[in-house]
Amino acid sequence: MDAIVLENVTKAYDSVIAVNAVSLKVHAGAILGLLGPNGAGKTTTIRMIMNILVPDSGSIHVLGEPVSDSTRDKIGYLPEERGLYPRMKVLEIIVFLAALHGLTQVEAARRGKDWLDRLGLSEWSDKKLVDLSKGMQQKVQFITSVIHRPPLMILDEPFSGLDPVNAATIQEIMLDMRKQGSTIVLSTHRMEQVERLCDSICLIDKGCNVLDGELRAVKQSYGKNTLHVEFTGNDAFLNHPAIGQTARLITGIEAKLKPGADPQEILKAAVNSDARITRFELLEPSLSEIFIDRTTHA
Amino acid sequence: MRKILLIIKREYLTRVRTKGVIIGTVIVPVLGVGSILLVVFLVGHTATQTSRIVIVDNSGQLGPAVAHGLDGKLADGQPQFVVEETVLRPASPDALQKDLRARINSETLDAYLWIPQDLDQPFELHTRNPENIGLIGPLSRSVDQALISSRFEHRGVHLDDLQTILKGTDRKLLKVSEAGESVEKGQGIAIAIALVVLLYTSLLMYGIITMRSVIEEKTTRTMEVLISSERPFELPAGKILGVVAVAFTQFAIWMTTTALLFSYGVLASWRMTRNSPLAGVHVPISLVLYAGLFFIGGYFMYASMFAAIGSACSNEQDAQQLQWLSMAPLVFCMIIYGVVLNEPASRTAVILSEIPFFAPVLMSLRISLQTPPACQIARSLTLLVLTTIAVMCASAKIYRIGVLMYGKRPSLVELVRWPRYT
Repeated sequence: MDAIVLENVTKAYDSVIAVNAVSLKVHAGAILGLLGPNGAGKTTTIRMIMNILVPDSGSIHVLGEPVSDSTRDKIGYLPEERGLYPRMKVLEIIVFLAALHGLTQVEAARRGKDWLDRLGLSEWSDKKLVDLSKGMQQKVQFITSVIHRPPLMILDEPFSGLDPVNAATIQEIMLDMRKQGSTIVLSTHRMEQVERLCDSICLIDKGCNVLDGELRAVKQSYGKNTLHVEFTGNDAFLNHPAIGQTARLITGIEAKLKPGADPQEILKAAVNSDARITRFELLEPSLSEIFIDRTTHA
Repeated sequence: MRKILLIIKREYLTRVRTKGVIIGTVIVPVLGVGSILLVVFLVGHTATQTSRIVIVDNSGQLGPAVAHGLDGKLADGQPQFVVEETVLRPASPDALQKDLRARINSETLDAYLWIPQDLDQPFELHTRNPENIGLIGPLSRSVDQALISSRFEHRGVHLDDLQTILKGTDRKLLKVSEAGESVEKGQGIAIAIALVVLLYTSLLMYGIITMRSVIEEKTTRTMEVLISSERPFELPAGKILGVVAVAFTQFAIWMTTTALLFSYGVLASWRMTRNSPLAGVHVPISLVLYAGLFFIGGYFMYASMFAAIGSACSNEQDAQQLQWLSMAPLVFCMIIYGVVLNEPASRTAVILSEIPFFAPVLMSLRISLQTPPACQIARSLTLLVLTTIAVMCASAKIYRIGVLMYGKRPSLVELVRWPRYT
């Protein structure tokens, strides 16, 4: 089953088309990376999935139902702009927002304490939010979006403001939730997190879906067009006509292959030029490279 | 409904615990009663000690009469003025003035009155504190009295005779209603004006509290979290109901306090005194009920407008520039209410009081003065309810878009366009 299905969804603000005929499917139990430059239309897309905004045309289904106010309770949402009542106590605000998602006060308090314990915030439960550090507030915000155990979660930049240890903790929790069957939409600009966590991606640019599919398939479709060579000695082979842009590394180089280039010819040229090759590997492009390629050269 | 109750509870508990509300609940009545008592005190106790004065009469006609008229007493029974000397036609005026100024500066004299030779010229009062109302008031009255009396006597008329001739008679006003007749000593007007002021300030104050609450959620970015878990109507509805609960809590405290003060203690005994301004003050329960109904209808209408304005603005400065949209009808009520007060049954008053934006204040005012026909009240209330529903629906649509908009303040045209985005 698909957790989210968008079909030809369009949304415009007066003459500005924020989302233009976007179609997308997110498989249940998967983690989707929703990518795109600033102002590409990601937030508008998320708000339509949340039923905060209504599309001008097209249809949206969430967990098998047409999107509505009732589907909203099945979604855990962590917005990009963090915000909680600064003068409320930590546990109070967690219980309040959990109760809005349908939990009883008692159950919300029990789960809230468990989560605070898990994220190392137990001692802060009676403190006002304004007294917490930015990273701690981010963890509280994360708790409020997952406490009601939603089958679908939309997390917009969940690692923002977190140190590497806390980022790893949140990452672990996300993988744990996926294991339990939850679907996660992860909107972020941190491509290394997407490569590490996501099963599939959707790249939106200027309101259009310019690339989507399983992450592995997307990368494979780009082919192995990057050459990683570690060597000592003569580097004259780098002038081979099949080699494009080259980046020098401490132990060697990383070079882009020109379309139709044969790596074997380059290897032959390197050997003939008396270079001592210790590593010669063809690599897939990184997600960052794909992102830049699709959003700047499209 | 459960979510609305949760929001009402949070909004109520958060607001009711704030220092502003606690202080407002205590300070408003204290300030109100305090200012009345202060005025009463100031009026009755403008002078606290005897003033020593000298009267210099260059005309030689008025000095003794003016001195005679300064017969006021202080609260402790002491004379308010002691005329140390009355000098008629001084031989060397300059030297005398110099001497009197020296006495004032050495604080052995409080003032001297300089009556000119030509009585059409201004009189002069020389004192260290020319703003002293307790000194100036009685002196002016005494001088005027003496001067007028002198003029009449020149024409062969005695002032006492004239006062007797011109004396009118007291009026006794009786208000006729279905309940019978009651003596009117101005308390009806007082209640009506108090009601207008109360409704105006309450609608404005609680509307602005609602608006600020929305702005706070926008500026702290709590809004996006909230609207992801609630229907668009639930958040403003819960907020508005939470604030009205705070309003009713304050009203309840003020009314209970007033009732207790009027039932027991000094105010109660003062109320029973025949000549007391509080004697005969009676607020019919029907007026309280009608005013309550119109307040609720008006509050929902105005608070929805204020909430929509709050949702459209990213900070209080922007909101202050847009809030005139909601304030204008209320301010108009305060400008126009005199027309209704003078003729509550006139055609103008009837029309104005049925316009929903003015009805909460003006219809309540009409009811307090002279209960209008039931059909007019019903029509006004129905129009108010229908308009309130329409305003709430439009505001909810603006709210839904506005809470997500940050940056520059929207124009009026943009506000009107926003409901189409939802």
